[in-house]
Amino acid sequence: MNVFFKLGWFFKERKKQYLVGLFSLALVALLQLIPPKIIGYTIDEIGQGTLTFASLLMWVGIILITAILIYCLRYFWRLMIFGSSNYMAMRLRKKLFLHFSKMSPSFYQNRRIGDLMAHATNDVSAVQQTAGGGVLTLFDSITTGTFVILAMAVTIDWRLTLIALIPMPLVAISSTYYGKLLHERFHLAQSAFSDLNDKTQESITGIKVIKTFGQQNEDIDDFKRLSSEVVSKNMKVARVDSLFDPTISLVIGISFILSLGFGAKFITEQTMTIGDLVAFNTYLGLLVWPMLAFGMLFNIMERGSASYDRIESLLSIPVEIDDKPNAIDQRPNGDLLFHVKEFKFPGDEKASLRDVSFELKRGETLGIVGKTGSGKTAILKLLLREFEGYKGDIIFGDNRIDEYRKLRLLEAIGYVPQDHFLFSTSVYNNIAFTNPGVESKEVEYAARLAHIHDDILRFSEGYQTIVGERGVSLSGGQKQRISIARALMSNPELLILDDSLSAVDAKTEEAILEALKEERQDKTTIITSHRLSAIQHAHLIIVMNEGAIVEKGTHDQLMELKGKYYEMYNLQQLEQLVEKGGEVHE
Amino acid sequence: MNKQTALSGKEQRKVLFRLIRYLIPHKKSVAIALLLLILTVTGDVIGPYLIKVFLDDHVAVGNFDTNPIIFLAVSFMVIQILNVVISYFQLVKFQQIALNVVQQIRIDVFSKIHKLGMRYFDSTPAGSIVSRATNDTEAIKDLFVSVLIAYVQATFLITGVYIAMFLLNPLLALFALVLLPIVLLVIFLYRKFSSVVYMTMREKLSQLNAKLSETLSGMNIVQVFRQEERLNEEFNEINDQHYQAMMNNTKLNAVLLRPVIDLVYFVAIILILSFFGITSFDKAVEVGMIYAFITYISRFFDPINQVMERLAFYQQAIVAASRVFELLDDQEIEPAQIESKEQINEGWIEFKDVTFSYDGKTNVLKNISFTVNPGETVALVGHTGSGKSSIINLLMRFYEFEHGDIIIDGKSIKSYSKKELRKKLGLVLQDSFLFYGTIESNIRLFDENLTDQDVVEAAKFVQADHFIEKLPNKYQQKVTERGSTFSSGQRQLIAFARTVAANPKILILDEATAAIDTETEVAIQQSLEKMRKGRTTIAIAHRLSTIQDAEQILVLHQGEIVESGTHQQLLEQKGLYHKMYLLQNGIVEESLAK
Repeated sequence: MNVFFKLGWFFKERKKQYLVGLFSLALVALLQLIPPKIIGYTIDEIGQGTLTFASLLMWVGIILITAILIYCLRYFWRLMIFGSSNYMAMRLRKKLFLHFSKMSPSFYQNRRIGDLMAHATNDVSAVQQTAGGGVLTLFDSITTGTFVILAMAVTIDWRLTLIALIPMPLVAISSTYYGKLLHERFHLAQSAFSDLNDKTQESITGIKVIKTFGQQNEDIDDFKRLSSEVVSKNMKVARVDSLFDPTISLVIGISFILSLGFGAKFITEQTMTIGDLVAFNTYLGLLVWPMLAFGMLFNIMERGSASYDRIESLLSIPVEIDDKPNAIDQRPNGDLLFHVKEFKFPGDEKASLRDVSFELKRGETLGIVGKTGSGKTAILKLLLREFEGYKGDIIFGDNRIDEYRKLRLLEAIGYVPQDHFLFSTSVYNNIAFTNPGVESKEVEYAARLAHIHDDILRFSEGYQTIVGERGVSLSGGQKQRISIARALMSNPELLILDDSLSAVDAKTEEAILEALKEERQDKTTIITSHRLSAIQHAHLIIVMNEGAIVEKGTHDQLMELKGKYYEMYNLQQLEQLVEKGGEVHE
Repeated sequence: MNKQTALSGKEQRKVLFRLIRYLIPHKKSVAIALLLLILTVTGDVIGPYLIKVFLDDHVAVGNFDTNPIIFLAVSFMVIQILNVVISYFQLVKFQQIALNVVQQIRIDVFSKIHKLGMRYFDSTPAGSIVSRATNDTEAIKDLFVSVLIAYVQATFLITGVYIAMFLLNPLLALFALVLLPIVLLVIFLYRKFSSVVYMTMREKLSQLNAKLSETLSGMNIVQVFRQEERLNEEFNEINDQHYQAMMNNTKLNAVLLRPVIDLVYFVAIILILSFFGITSFDKAVEVGMIYAFITYISRFFDPINQVMERLAFYQQAIVAASRVFELLDDQEIEPAQIESKEQINEGWIEFKDVTFSYDGKTNVLKNISFTVNPGETVALVGHTGSGKSSIINLLMRFYEFEHGDIIIDGKSIKSYSKKELRKKLGLVLQDSFLFYGTIESNIRLFDENLTDQDVVEAAKFVQADHFIEKLPNKYQQKVTERGSTFSSGQRQLIAFARTVAANPKILILDEATAAIDTETEVAIQQSLEKMRKGRTTIAIAHRLSTIQDAEQILVLHQGEIVESGTHQQLLEQKGLYHKMYLLQNGIVEESLAK
């Protein structure tokens, strides 16, 4: 029951709709009492031979009007109550999405997208069910139940009512019991199904191994076994599920025979008419639904409550990195100073950065090299304020980066990530991501700088080609170059390329670097790369290893040092040779 | 995954009939279920008749002879109880049939998957294949359980009710027939509108989910580029559209679902009352008769409500079924083998001028020819994309080739039975894939002919027993999620043991690219050496150190063999192999000093 309190705010917000809806519902419950009564009267008049054409017309007219009224009111309450529950779903989704968009990367690190999706779909629809079907079931079963019982007791015969009601609680009890049983068994069936799903997934991923060992038939047998398991678990569900209808008709049957027997007795005693008995039996039929509903209600509420709690706990996670009070509302520009004594990712034991410091004048280019996990990306994540809590200072222009409004800081940065993520919209929209309304001239300009313009023109729809599954499938290099064009669109003060040239060939890489140099003479650029050719031209190169800077200088200085950088450089030269097929003397 | 393809009415019927054909093997069960259904319906129909008799012959005329009344009451109760029991079995039986049918479809799909060639797997995402076998067949289950069964039950019940009404009062029953076209019209209208409204709602929902899932995956980009607000707007737009679609669905249901059926019900009541009312002006009418008709009519509407509520499933399930059948009809099957008794005894392999292409456009292997003598090792080396893996793919018959031939023991590879090839050719993949189960089941891999001793021997042979014995449950240790609890080296050793247990004549090795943990490195190298003894071996090597003793090394570049010979010979040639060798040994300066 307390789930309805938890949703109180929503009911208050939609007070009008719910009141109108529930009022209509109550009216329907009342109006429903009329036809059985009329049927009873008509039968009595027929039986006594007192029916006239006029009275028949009246009775029939009353039923017709009642029926039409019921129809309209039913339409109305459905619109109000189910409409509100639809609205609820919409509201919750909106809230969740807004919240998701405020969460920082550490939030996403600990959670799987699939789970977040499940909250926004399954949990939301469970709450929707509660706000719609749940409210309806609770209210309707109470009103209809009460009205029908009152009508039977007051207008027909209270003794007969009591007698006929004796078996009725059995419906509620058994439907609650079956419901619980069904829920448990359904759970088992679901998990058998998910085993089957896993099995299929595994077989398809391991299809080569299975083919290699010629184990197809055995694998199919295994699948048969699991799928028989699914059948047997589902049969267990079916065995409970099939109990509902027969049980109800049994209970109703007993009620019927009781009411008929005693009804006949009362008729002979002349305290009741045959018409009353028929009306009474029709009323009995109306009681089935409220009884049944009461059993189901429990389940709906339980699920809705658990789902709502999950959604609430997700929504209550605070925004991690927010602007300071009086944050500087200005886009930073100028020199970049990076002095970090120590930084650990949340939950990590080991420091990801130790004593990393460098200074970069406006317009200079920094190259960062190092193995995966050496701390390259950590530097960039701090610059982007995706993580905080480091010891030291990062100063961009005149202030520490956390003194700016985050929005302003990010406006000054163009970022090209390692995993070139593109959205499944047109190439144009992907490049113009920061500014969808921008002129095509500017988009093309950025595309030219990133050396992707010619590729785009070759796509079937040019710039309007859709990216991804439903459109063109792009090579890794093309994706990287589109990502670069996207970052260049805002002509950022600081451009960060996070190993974003790895999939383009050497010639294109050179051309892009050349274009960037030309275009961004007074702007700062940071490039991380495995391939040294991408950072060779930088004003400053730092070599990272296990979170610390091991070498620092220009390309020439580092070559002279004959250290790690020098070693890497030579190795890569040779690698290139092998890739080309070893033709040294070209 | 939720892409809804519109199917024409004709296509829908075709899919439905094909589904119904799956019932043929269950003829007997279907007959029993239908018989039970007929009994249930009979019981449903007799009950009200008995009450009619009671009302008319006893209550109305004040005749309370005990014997006939007891007879009536007892028969009513007996019928009621029998009916409850029979209808329970009837319901269960129908579900059982549906579940068995779906199981058959599932097995068909899964068996078909195993007959498909690797090309199919290259072009179809694994997720959507899994969906075909599970989610789509689940939708078919819903179709059978919720829609078809309800439909059959409704048809029988309605027929039964009409028969009873005709027996009681043919004229009124005839009048009541008018209801049928009205109800059919409502169903027709509902289907017509709901197919649009419901589909729009599904479509919007899948757009909504796609947007959500994509934005969540790309949230980092969204935030770095400060587009949170815009994406919120975009999401809310779809969210609003989905809300509108839901509202339309709610409205449609409110107009055409239960409320309208109830309205028709009241019309039917009016019809009955008017009929008997008008009749009563001329002659006496039995009250029980009115009661019986009113009860029959209300029985008539229950199943209709049920069927209507489930109509929405129908279309979805048909679309899912059509996707399933599409997979069952797919022609991209694996390369064919001749069922022959030919055996591979020597392990002599020859590639004869083999040219191969995955897409029919670019050749990834160009005129490849080489021979491997029994018991010898040939190593394939080369850069990524040089064609090494393609040679193995052809040898394993993962893909069909058109040009040239592969000869084993003097006969084309195509002339051996599939079983023989799988038995005699053993492949160790670079990514050693472990299945959910135990270590033992992974080594055994469904082969029940192997004794436990064989399994242990195989593990010992590849020195996997050292780490297995240290596990708490030894060979019964659980392997979960592709063996993620084991190191890559340990996984590799288990995969070796699997191959050793199968004891193939020809060994094909695809060496792991990633560096393997040093602990198992030695064991792996020694095991490889042992495994190669007495077997013809074709090995892809990334680390040249592992294949220095190979009888022949083939250096591939862009689909061609550019160098071949022994390790020493190739080093002396000072060509590509030499460079690769230097690179791997970190001897850089020498190579660059031209």
